[in-house]
Amino acid sequence: MARASHPHAMHPKKPGSTRTAAPQMPPKFPMAGRYRAYTLFDWTGLIYLILGFMALEIVWALGTGKAEWVALMERFQNPIYVIFHVLALVSVIFVGVRFFGFFPKSQPPRIGPVKPPPQPVILGGLYVAWIGISAVFSLILSGALFR
Amino acid sequence: MKNLLLKFEPLIWLLFGQGIMIGTLLLTGWVLILGIAAPLGWVAPLEFEHAHELAASFIGRVVLAALIALPLWKGAHHMRHVFIDMGGADRDSKVAPLLYLISLAGSVAAIVAVVRL
Repeated sequence: MARASHPHAMHPKKPGSTRTAAPQMPPKFPMAGRYRAYTLFDWTGLIYLILGFMALEIVWALGTGKAEWVALMERFQNPIYVIFHVLALVSVIFVGVRFFGFFPKSQPPRIGPVKPPPQPVILGGLYVAWIGISAVFSLILSGALFR
Repeated sequence: MKNLLLKFEPLIWLLFGQGIMIGTLLLTGWVLILGIAAPLGWVAPLEFEHAHELAASFIGRVVLAALIALPLWKGAHHMRHVFIDMGGADRDSKVAPLLYLISLAGSVAAIVAVVRL
């Protein structure tokens, strides 16, 4: 349903000489059609904020001592933390797929004298980097690498 | 405040973009192992001594600082736009500085956290 948008949205600095219709929010905003992905992409910001501070807590515990580290690892076994991390993983993958999808399209035709590679090559490179870094990082964190 | 935000816009966009790019590259494995696989017992959690040794290396400190700080800037910038989209731009001059200050505080704390490892 269309609804009134913010009264100052697109408000001209001086009254125009012709009458204009009051601005309306797009009828599909915020969770229908293409707006759904746009809105969810923005809301992943909350997940990233929480993940950043949780990572800070982990590194802080590591710098404090063994007792804090063990206590934190035990706390992470709480189902609420696990459910949050599942949601966070879905969010991170959603952000990656969406961002890497439009990254090649947003490249300029030339960067100085250099022409960027074709879009599928950039996209493929991003996915190779993503999967590769995630695999190596997972192996390190699970103790399978650099033991 | 609006002028100040505009002045810092290139820096904020740089941190926001890197927050999406580097944050996503690093957080996938981080969340999968530390948040899901280790708590559910699929893999053994890292022992303190080994985790500390890895984290306290130069590369470990740089990676961890980026992993903490950059997602905060992505989060702050996207949440700023959530507030604009949902409530209009009137409060932006209060909301945006608050969110960026939270990110800045978290980034400083991230540097402190990796230095004290």
